[in-house]
Amino acid sequence: MAALTDALAMVFTWEVLVVILGASLFGLLIGSIPGLTATMATALLVPVTFFMEPLPAISAIVAATAMAIVAGDIPGALLRIPGTPASAAYTDEAYLMGRQGKLGQALGVNLACSVVGGIIGVAILAFLSPLVADFALQFTSDEYFWLALLGLSCAVLVSGADALKGAISMLLGLLISMVGMDSVSGQVRFTFGISDLMSGISILPVLIGLFAIAELLRRLPEIGMSSLPTPPPVDKPFQGVGRLMWRYKGGMARSGVLGTLIGALPGAGADIASWINYALSRRLSRTPEKFGTGHPEGLVAASSANNAALSGAYVPALVFGIPGDTITAIIIGVLMMKGITPGPDVFTADATLVNAIFIVFVLANLLLLPLGLLAIRGARHILSVPQSVLYPLILLFCIVGAYAANNSMLDVWLMLGLGILAYVLVENEFPIGPMILAVILGPVVESNFMRSMIKSNGELLTLFDRPIAATLGALALLVWLALIGSSVRSVWRSRTTTASP
Amino acid sequence: MRINDLVLGLVMALLGAITVWASQDFNTLPRQSFGAGSFPILVGSLLIFLGLLLALRSFQQHRVLFSWQGQISLSHTLACLVAVVVAVAGYALLTPILGFPLVEPVMLTLLIGWLSKGRWSLALIIAIVSTILIWIVFAQLLHVPLALGILEEVVY
Repeated sequence: MAALTDALAMVFTWEVLVVILGASLFGLLIGSIPGLTATMATALLVPVTFFMEPLPAISAIVAATAMAIVAGDIPGALLRIPGTPASAAYTDEAYLMGRQGKLGQALGVNLACSVVGGIIGVAILAFLSPLVADFALQFTSDEYFWLALLGLSCAVLVSGADALKGAISMLLGLLISMVGMDSVSGQVRFTFGISDLMSGISILPVLIGLFAIAELLRRLPEIGMSSLPTPPPVDKPFQGVGRLMWRYKGGMARSGVLGTLIGALPGAGADIASWINYALSRRLSRTPEKFGTGHPEGLVAASSANNAALSGAYVPALVFGIPGDTITAIIIGVLMMKGITPGPDVFTADATLVNAIFIVFVLANLLLLPLGLLAIRGARHILSVPQSVLYPLILLFCIVGAYAANNSMLDVWLMLGLGILAYVLVENEFPIGPMILAVILGPVVESNFMRSMIKSNGELLTLFDRPIAATLGALALLVWLALIGSSVRSVWRSRTTTASP
Repeated sequence: MRINDLVLGLVMALLGAITVWASQDFNTLPRQSFGAGSFPILVGSLLIFLGLLLALRSFQQHRVLFSWQGQISLSHTLACLVAVVVAVAGYALLTPILGFPLVEPVMLTLLIGWLSKGRWSLALIIAIVSTILIWIVFAQLLHVPLALGILEEVVY
């Protein structure tokens, strides 16, 4: 009880509340603009959070991402253009409801179900995390090595259709993570004589380069190619929403729970949760034929799921330090910059902080209602912000943000180089998610492996001595076998396809 | 901008080979066969294997080495790419000499003016206002030492 009171006192300060409000408005802006993602909002926020205390820093990211995901529904319903990938699954459904004169209802359902999904996600996060953390206290470097490797492998597996490209993206991330002084042996690696690289490549230019610069490079050429149509006005956003939510309460609850669990899987974020729950809702529906015609059932399920997944991703991030998605990868980076290493110990050493984070989640989700309504009302104005003005400003923010962490121009060059690399990779269908997860998890995998080897005098098989480690190890090896098998199969398939006339 | 996977796969394999080669001389830990080179060698070897697999897969599909897809012209896309590179490089090279308050308004004016197809007065106003705001937030509130360059002598 005392921990909860302390946590409440930590959250209800002017600093934290103002940060939550400001970050929500920022997420609202970024999410409403088609093409700009919640991950980009997070990457752009990091330079500012760098100068904050841990709680306001995390609050900013939690609030901005939740708001960006919800705001991403608005251009989807108004213009049939999803604001973020997490809204793509049900964009057509919401747009078609709008064409039937139920635009306000579609956006109201999006908003209300997002809040419910978010709250379900927080409840599961708050309930599950301490239990898993208790269990994880028994873990040694063996378990952490396999867990981090399993996290990386799963991230590749769910990253897209081409596992081979996902695996290569992950290996590139591991290469980035190896630059600098090795934490176990102290050996300096791949610094090319640049002393600024001794402490490794800072996470900030990596994040901004991979998620903001690469996205800017993809979006800039589109400016002026097509103008967004003027969105229609939105009337009575909450009319009939309560009735719909009650009718589909089962689907909403199921999607909230399932969305949270999907979010907890490494690499599977809000967009995957949204697609899976939309498809599942269609399969379990009594009227599947109505899906795709402006039917709210899928909208209810997918809107709940994508916001719940945001909370779910924090379970492995807080308990094991293994990011569930790109956003939690950034959060882990931020926490580590602040000297807090996520893991089961955080639940005892920083219990107040963890409770405060849960409270921030609830607050951020509750704030979605008034701010989401504001976003719906102001959507016309947000969508009229000229991209020719917005994108150069984002570029300036990226440059100053990359410089700000270490006051080093090297970080600005790194940001540019990694941004161009990510742009080329994305254009050629390499997923970027596994790369950023590898940048975060690379040192975890390597340092735990080396610790285990030192303990066992180099006996590799001791990695399987403990039952949990053996289970995790077997799973990780199975996933790698599946990855390599799928890659070899794709080579074989391409050969037979070419051979056949 | 589609680059044939054959090229990308070979580049990845080459990168892996360089990593393995550069990691050969890293010391092992005392009385261990593992050391700072173990992980890079493993990652480099996997990169060689998977890079070659990607190249082989693409080689069998007989695709062109480079192709351009989409409605936007290659020249316009390259112009945007160059604009971003010049803007960032310009910042990194010129800011320490000329100072943030001089470089940023010019960079933003040029970028916004070009992208908005000649709305130069709007570009100039936004550039000046946003430079002032960024200066206040980062230099004044967050104490990031944004360079003053030649303005340092004027200010101090």
